[in-house]
Amino acid sequence: MARLVFLGRFREIANPALAQVTLPGGVRTLAGLKDWLAEAEPALGKALDSARTQIAVNQVLVRDPSHPIVHDDEIAFLPPMSGG
Amino acid sequence: MTVRVTEEPFDPGAEIAAFNTAHGHAGALATFTGYCRAATAGRPVGTLYIEQYPGFTQREIQRLADDVSRQLGTLDLLVVHRVGAIRPGEAIVLVAAMAAHRAEAFDAVRLLMDYLKTDAPLWKKESGPDGDRWIEPTAHDHARRAKAGEKV
Repeated sequence: MARLVFLGRFREIANPALAQVTLPGGVRTLAGLKDWLAEAEPALGKALDSARTQIAVNQVLVRDPSHPIVHDDEIAFLPPMSGG
Repeated sequence: MTVRVTEEPFDPGAEIAAFNTAHGHAGALATFTGYCRAATAGRPVGTLYIEQYPGFTQREIQRLADDVSRQLGTLDLLVVHRVGAIRPGEAIVLVAAMAAHRAEAFDAVRLLMDYLKTDAPLWKKESGPDGDRWIEPTAHDHARRAKAGEKV
């Protein structure tokens, strides 16, 4: 099971069932995961599809779409940040 | 250096006094406090919600503060940031910088605030009588951040 975390406005769009999800065998990279999400949840896929969306794997920001995803990873999708 | 992300309201005056007590002989203390507005661009704000990514948010703010400290040679920094439901008039963020001289203290507060605006993993939603609205950094925030320095 992978853990998917959706922050901010992504959380309001994402299906809560995605919090704990068994990924299909073919999903092995971040790019693969985004493609799979876009197919399963088009509205979410569209929201995530922006150069300003950041992704953290196990709480570390990752910019490489070919980054591998393994069982038990925590993958977080972050909309543009706004502190202060 | 202290970075605190809290759901509880805090008293900026008490935080600054405690921080000052710990470094009373440093020379210069500069502070900034950001408060929840009662209205944004004419729209009344009932509640501001700030969401964090627990663990990650605290560590990233710490990393930004470390970077400011390295760049400006401050003696100590304090960041307190509210998350959760915030009412107009309540403090959202406090940044305090202790340094030997005023220039470093002022610069550290300004730079860290510029970093927080665009790089702190926090997400804001304003809720008012005419609905909810997610807030993202403005072009002005990004311009200030670009001027402040390269991505840390």
